[in-house]
Amino acid sequence: MSRLLVVRFLSMLPVLGLVLVIVFSMARLIPGDPAVTLLGPGATDVQIAALRTQLNLDGSLPAQFVSYLRQLAQGDLGVSLKSGRPVAQEILQRLPATLELSLLATFIALLVGIPLGVWAAVRQERAADHALRVLSLAGVSMPAFLIALILQLLFGIALGWLPVSGRLSPFDITDTVTGFAVLDGLLTGDYAAAWDALRHLLLPSLVLAAFLSAVLLRFVRNSMSEVLGQDYIRTARAKGMGEGRVLFVHGLRNALVPALTIVGLNFAQMLGGAILTETVFSWPGIGRYMFDAIRNRDYPVIQGTTLLFALIFMLTSLLVDVLHALADPRIRRGPGA
Amino acid sequence: MRLSALLGSMRGLVRGNPLALAGALILVALCAGMAWPGLLTAHQPLTIDIVHKFAPPSSPHLLGTDAFGRDVFARLLFGARSTLLIGFGVVALAFVAGTAYGTVSGYVGGWLDNAMMRFVDAMLAFPSLVLAIALSAAFGPSLRNAMLAVAIVLAPQFARLARAQAMGISAQLYVTAAIAIGVPHRRILLQYVLRNGIGPLLVQATLAVGGAILQTASLGFLGLAAQPPWPEWGSDLASSLSTIDDAPWVPLAPGLAIFATVMACNLIGDALAKGFDPRQRQSS
Repeated sequence: MSRLLVVRFLSMLPVLGLVLVIVFSMARLIPGDPAVTLLGPGATDVQIAALRTQLNLDGSLPAQFVSYLRQLAQGDLGVSLKSGRPVAQEILQRLPATLELSLLATFIALLVGIPLGVWAAVRQERAADHALRVLSLAGVSMPAFLIALILQLLFGIALGWLPVSGRLSPFDITDTVTGFAVLDGLLTGDYAAAWDALRHLLLPSLVLAAFLSAVLLRFVRNSMSEVLGQDYIRTARAKGMGEGRVLFVHGLRNALVPALTIVGLNFAQMLGGAILTETVFSWPGIGRYMFDAIRNRDYPVIQGTTLLFALIFMLTSLLVDVLHALADPRIRRGPGA
Repeated sequence: MRLSALLGSMRGLVRGNPLALAGALILVALCAGMAWPGLLTAHQPLTIDIVHKFAPPSSPHLLGTDAFGRDVFARLLFGARSTLLIGFGVVALAFVAGTAYGTVSGYVGGWLDNAMMRFVDAMLAFPSLVLAIALSAAFGPSLRNAMLAVAIVLAPQFARLARAQAMGISAQLYVTAAIAIGVPHRRILLQYVLRNGIGPLLVQATLAVGGAILQTASLGFLGLAAQPPWPEWGSDLASSLSTIDDAPWVPLAPGLAIFATVMACNLIGDALAKGFDPRQRQSS
């Protein structure tokens, strides 16, 4: 097991190196001299020189890359051109909002995708299966901002049940303990604030969950239908085992491992989708931060958030591999063992 | 697989699958509307008519008008041009670049293949939308740059698949024989490796069109693709988002249009993938 971990980790290193090269190159892709482009025509030579230093554009390319790496090693992601504050600090401030959103979204996706996937597999090639296939295709075809728009129209404007933007109502600022608004409300005993936070959280996390639910539904359906064709399922049925036990103890348990892999691999993709969702709902997370940075052409922030998304992606796939190995002894022992 | 055989099996698949047929019909209707928008509407997408702003859907304005009194239906039709061109253009670009890269990598093998594939892994280590956003932000906001960014993000998928295909085919005896009798590498790559491995790549391309349209529309929504006042569904939706209280049809029309187009592509891609994957074919 530990050998597998080491091998997997080592194989990640060259990829990590190239990821850093790609993120590093981004500010250098800007046509012309980035400092001149960003400052506009009215800039003085002194300003341009200062920005060049700030963007780490002095010296040869390899030298720039080395100093970029040196900065990163110290946890320094540069300084935001807009606010003048360290990017790393601003990211840490916004990370809990995004994690809160995406964790609830993952939970909703599991809650929706797994039962529907099992249902589709059981009713294979019948009406329910076809309807669910169309539903899951619709889920991956629907732009996040359209779902957001429809939900806002329905629950926010027509019914007036839920707030359509922000994370908390203005008067409901609680003490921060964990940074997760709902949890903070519960921990500090401010149940009204926790309820308010949850109401704000619901619509954006539904939007974010839609894509993952659709992918998961599809995947659970396929892996479940494969498992249901196996001999041991026939044996279980032949023994007279109840259908519920066959489905959930023998069937789902074996179909779930690949399904969870899909959740892990799509978690970071979902975070990418958070850029759209957070923008529509004015959610104060990383996605919204990146969107604002694009509008302001705030390159240090764009680079920092891009790197963060890639790191989360790499870490979740590492985690998925480890969990996979824990769940499946054939992988744990490795080939030839 | 030969191209004619592929087209034939495509026809068969669509015939046996009403959903794929529906998808094909939507796309054909869209292409027709895109080719001759003048037949369907007398309005121009850029004509401003402030007096009649936010007119609800009615007979002179089929889908109403927007904040500048521009006809929403006309903008939808002219916007379809960019959307479809984007979808097919982006995938074509990614297909050619990714397939060439992957085929060479898989055929050459060895350390070069290894190094080339690490680069592909690195590209795939970014959530696709994030990389597309970062790239188009760096290139500068325009439709052309957005398409380039989405194509770059999409290409690694083709590279991976093409490499797997090329590796499998390069190990075949007929390739060894071709090398032995001195057929030039360029000819082997094109006539043997690429030709025999292209089937799954074409299916992958069909599957990718919907995603490419969705992603470019997302860039448009974020203000990174077509610039106003040019009609493009994603940016039209974003610019009318604040009017949902008073005139919900203005943002809903392009939003639903994106959905219908992407859904149509995915229905066709789904049917094709099902037909090509023997495991899935068996179960149906």
